[in-house]
Amino acid sequence: MSIQRSRGIPGLGVSVLASALLMGAAGYAALYVAPTERSMGDIQRIFYFHMPSGIIAFIAFTITFVANILYLVNRAPKSDWLGVSSAEVGVAFTTVMLVTGPIWGKPVWGVWWVWDARLTTTFILWVLYICYLLLRGLLDDPERKATVSAVFGVFAFLDVPLVYMANRWFRTQHPAPVLLGGQNSGLAPEMKWVLLFCFIALTGLMLILLRVRYQLEALRYEVSEMKVIADSGSRASN
Amino acid sequence: MKNMGSIMAAYIATWAIFFVYYFTVASRVSRLRDDVERLKQTLGTQLRR
Amino acid sequence: MTRPLHSMTLSRASFTIVAKELRAEFRSFELIISTLVFVLIVVFLFSFAFDPTVGESRRFGPGLLWISILFAASLMLQPSFSRERTNDTLGALRLAPIDPFAILAGKLLANFCFLLLVELVLLPAFSVLYDVPLAPVAAQVTAVMLLGSLGIATVGTIFSAIASQARMRELLLPLLMLPALAPVLIASAEATAGLLSDPPELQLNWIVFLVAFDVIFLTAAWLFGGYLLEE
Repeated sequence: MSIQRSRGIPGLGVSVLASALLMGAAGYAALYVAPTERSMGDIQRIFYFHMPSGIIAFIAFTITFVANILYLVNRAPKSDWLGVSSAEVGVAFTTVMLVTGPIWGKPVWGVWWVWDARLTTTFILWVLYICYLLLRGLLDDPERKATVSAVFGVFAFLDVPLVYMANRWFRTQHPAPVLLGGQNSGLAPEMKWVLLFCFIALTGLMLILLRVRYQLEALRYEVSEMKVIADSGSRASN
Repeated sequence: MKNMGSIMAAYIATWAIFFVYYFTVASRVSRLRDDVERLKQTLGTQLRR
Repeated sequence: MTRPLHSMTLSRASFTIVAKELRAEFRSFELIISTLVFVLIVVFLFSFAFDPTVGESRRFGPGLLWISILFAASLMLQPSFSRERTNDTLGALRLAPIDPFAILAGKLLANFCFLLLVELVLLPAFSVLYDVPLAPVAAQVTAVMLLGSLGIATVGTIFSAIASQARMRELLLPLLMLPALAPVLIASAEATAGLLSDPPELQLNWIVFLVAFDVIFLTAAWLFGGYLLEE
């Protein structure tokens, strides 16, 4: 990367390195430091990345929700950039959840997927925010794109707790195996520390992904602005 | 470790997803920054005309 | 930004728009009839695909009923905003000195009516084809239909406004609506199933849930829907 270029993110290289080290350490901790779980055995170690990913995905989508409302109120492009960046990062973390869940579930339950409340809600969450991103791709005018997707984002976020509740109640009436087994039941203290450490590592990762994605959006905006000026300039001089 | 294959699959999948995502975003950022430089030069020559 | 003076109150403006939408549809009934035929086809297709026994019909009937309604709605609500684009009639509506939400509310109520009309024919057909006793619980089933359909109409109308501004809107609307309306599907199907069980029971938790869903999304539509109608 040429160092003459302006507008690099200060300290990004260091942050990425730190994050990689932190993630490596967290992976090591989850594999070798954490004690083996009694009932499920070693497969339970997937939990140390699976659960924090879920929480972080939810945090990311909450950021998107707030950014969407902010955009509708003040129409600042920065709010739109934050909204889409956080949504994409959230989708990445949700994808991790949806991939690690079945990998965990197959050895434990013998099936790849169960329609329990948590997994079902995660799936719908994933679909809704992919729709958010798809919708943006199908809207051409930048302001319409930002406004319309912001409204959809608000509706999607409000929908998620309702999806969860409906599935919870449904599952109390029609029980299905709970894939994640009482995840907070009887967590030994050492496990809690490893979990916290992994959570911190993943949060660091999220912040970096968010920052870089935000810069991508900011650059796109700058490029489109400059193209407008360049076009009008060339038209004027012709 | 029992089920090592599954654990490894989960870890690899996790890292792969994050790495691929970061890489695609970072490379697009890099390309756009080149575009910005190019456009700045174009605008510079336009203004000089 | 000062709010423009409105020559009509919100409710009068909404009802005027509802009347316009209903009049437009009642000229030919093309939307309702096509939707009805579609839903009946879906219902038949399910029975061909699964060849349900009597017990299975009763068990899967409510879910099937509500899935059919959802599919129907996701096709039927599409023209709500997309047909306003041909001659930019939406632009004309926006020029009227009324609260923009009136346009949304009017279309929402009209879509709600259309859905109910489809269900009015669908329910007896469903009752006959799947041998489920609807008559003894007619009032309760009506309540469930009203609450569920209102939720579908609310989310559907908003998403129709969203999709009509994008490309691929015919595919986009079902894509957006179906996952978002999953709670309505679950709640309505469960409530209906409860009413069709032996003995019939009205599951209040689902009724309350549907009311909450409707209230939440009607409020969201009121707060944020206006942004969808901007120039």
